[in-house]
Amino acid sequence: MAIFIILGIPLLLAIAALFARKERLFGIINCCGYFAALCASVILFKETVFARYSRAFSDFIYIDLLSAVFIVVIAVVAFAAALYSIAYIGKDVGQKIISGRKARVYYLFFNLFCFSMFCVPAVNNLGMLWVAIEMTTLISAFLVGFYNSKESVEAAWKYIIICSVGIILALLGTILFSYAFSKSGLSKSLNWSDMVPVAHVLDKNILKIAFIFILVGYGTKAGLAPMHTWLPDAHSQAVAPISALLSGVLLKTAIYAILRFGIIIIKSGEFSYFSHLMILFGAISLAISCGFILVQKDLKRLLAYSSIEHVGIISIGFGLGSPLAIAGAILHVFNHAVTKSLMFFGAGNIVSAYKKHNMNAIRGVIKAMPFTGIVALLGVFALTGFPPFSIFISEIMIIMAAFTSGSYFIAALLLLFLAVIFGAFIYHFGRMLFGNLPKGVPRQGEAFSGKLVFLFLLFLICGLGVMLIFKYKDLLWLAQILLQG
Amino acid sequence: MQGIILFVLLASTYLMVIAKRMPALIRSFRYQSLCLFGVTFIVALTQREPELYVISGLLFVLKVSLIPYLLYRIIRRIKVNEELGLFINPQISLLWALAFTYLSWIFASYLFSSNNAILTGTLAIAFFVVSAGMFLMVFRMTALSQIIGLLVMENGLFLLASTVSGGMPFFVEIAIFFDVLVSVLIMGFFVYKINKLFTHIDVNKLSRLKG
Repeated sequence: MAIFIILGIPLLLAIAALFARKERLFGIINCCGYFAALCASVILFKETVFARYSRAFSDFIYIDLLSAVFIVVIAVVAFAAALYSIAYIGKDVGQKIISGRKARVYYLFFNLFCFSMFCVPAVNNLGMLWVAIEMTTLISAFLVGFYNSKESVEAAWKYIIICSVGIILALLGTILFSYAFSKSGLSKSLNWSDMVPVAHVLDKNILKIAFIFILVGYGTKAGLAPMHTWLPDAHSQAVAPISALLSGVLLKTAIYAILRFGIIIIKSGEFSYFSHLMILFGAISLAISCGFILVQKDLKRLLAYSSIEHVGIISIGFGLGSPLAIAGAILHVFNHAVTKSLMFFGAGNIVSAYKKHNMNAIRGVIKAMPFTGIVALLGVFALTGFPPFSIFISEIMIIMAAFTSGSYFIAALLLLFLAVIFGAFIYHFGRMLFGNLPKGVPRQGEAFSGKLVFLFLLFLICGLGVMLIFKYKDLLWLAQILLQG
Repeated sequence: MQGIILFVLLASTYLMVIAKRMPALIRSFRYQSLCLFGVTFIVALTQREPELYVISGLLFVLKVSLIPYLLYRIIRRIKVNEELGLFINPQISLLWALAFTYLSWIFASYLFSSNNAILTGTLAIAFFVVSAGMFLMVFRMTALSQIIGLLVMENGLFLLASTVSGGMPFFVEIAIFFDVLVSVLIMGFFVYKINKLFTHIDVNKLSRLKG
């Protein structure tokens, strides 16, 4: 039942946005709606954990633990983005950067975007999964090109074209999966729940080829290198709350799609194939993002490359495949979504105060905006995996899993890149946050709803970081049942 | 009959690869979609399934009529140079296309070891159409030709899906059609925007974002 509430709220809000008159009031209603969706998603998660299995609406919707986890992640970030949008869009309207009408268009696409993302983990049919992911691309392209500048339209075009090609390849992979299914003499179906129980009798060669297309296709959307080229452009040009949604959850929905197919591959007895491919793409992503982070000059692009790095870590975590690694990877999905949203909101505040993306021109953030500055400082430590923040826990779990499974080389690579990226981040942010305020930048007041969202996210980051140390046995248990479908 | 239509489909794809100007490309796309409609309609006639009639009808309305019309309209409205901005000239493109055809044949016969020549041929053509679409997207540098490349890839996948697994489930097929229509509308909207901001639609010159 909860799933219908979760899917219904964004749709209703999207319709309401068409008729809304006052954008500020609507922003608050919007935020309340996502709070309700968040509560519903937590209830859904609880139900699936205790019932172990739940399935609604015959063929169309399928919820298991894996989808429940992703729905919670989407709901958390969507709520945070809705809360942040009130102040951010209000400020843009106040400074006449956008008109009141455009603000309502923003809310319309915001809700449609969230709806399409909620659809991804909820659908059962692999063809509908594809349609939902393609919809997320098409809708969010408007939000990337929202400001109508040359840069943002260029970014939106690259985003829509590269992701569409990638996703067409994923459709090819999906068709091959359905071919493998129909070849084994079973009736025509693309439902995931029909495919998994018979995975072991499917033709392994076809599945392997199909999975390559799936990984390249959805990997493009997930931002795995070397198909990541759209990602820094789109993330740096989008409206700040949308950057958080793109980086925090859009990439994760693509990871979710890869996992759905990956589970079929694992069940057909080809675990090592899945594992090698995931680890390979993960390691390439880490290496490439590490290089770009070192030499980066643009604040939002820096954060975008860091998303590629974290997607790489998640991919390695799933590739390692032991319960500890899976638990780490799932946690990392959540932690990265929360922490990266925090950082993009902070970056949004900084950019709108300094009117620049270039990190060389941004100095003395703590003096200009004490609250944002301090939160960003904490966020940098959280993002680079410093204890007691939650990313530290998930990263250490993945690295421990690499050591215990004997993959010393992978563990060493992870540690090396994480150390380099840590250094680069501290260097870039140290220069931006401290130092003297450049002329012409006044001290800024900060809106209450803006502060609230930072506190909410910080609470999640710190709370999880401390709590998880005591709860890791439950986590391992969750991870074990997670990949059983 | 089916073999002849497939042959025409193959020929129209070659025409797209060697096309030099926008209208020629769109016209060949229309021929290709028409062939696809023919193939589906014949299957619908033989199997007498109402769902297949609906799908072939949608194919005709969307890909043969509506989408080419929209693309022509965009060309007329933005009044840009109709050249495609070839990265590779038509002769060498044709050689590439021949190579792709051969590779698709090998791939199809490796993947689906069957004795049915028409089936393997259809699959080879489907893979070739997908790779030709990819080729158009990479080596033709205008925004519009990239849209057409995407549509061509989608056509190839439609052919593939209808031959290997008897088509996708009905509602998925409908959803994909809807999706294709929406994506053409949205991309067309962005082509207008690019043309307005940059006064050209040469994608190769979109290089403000780097690093």
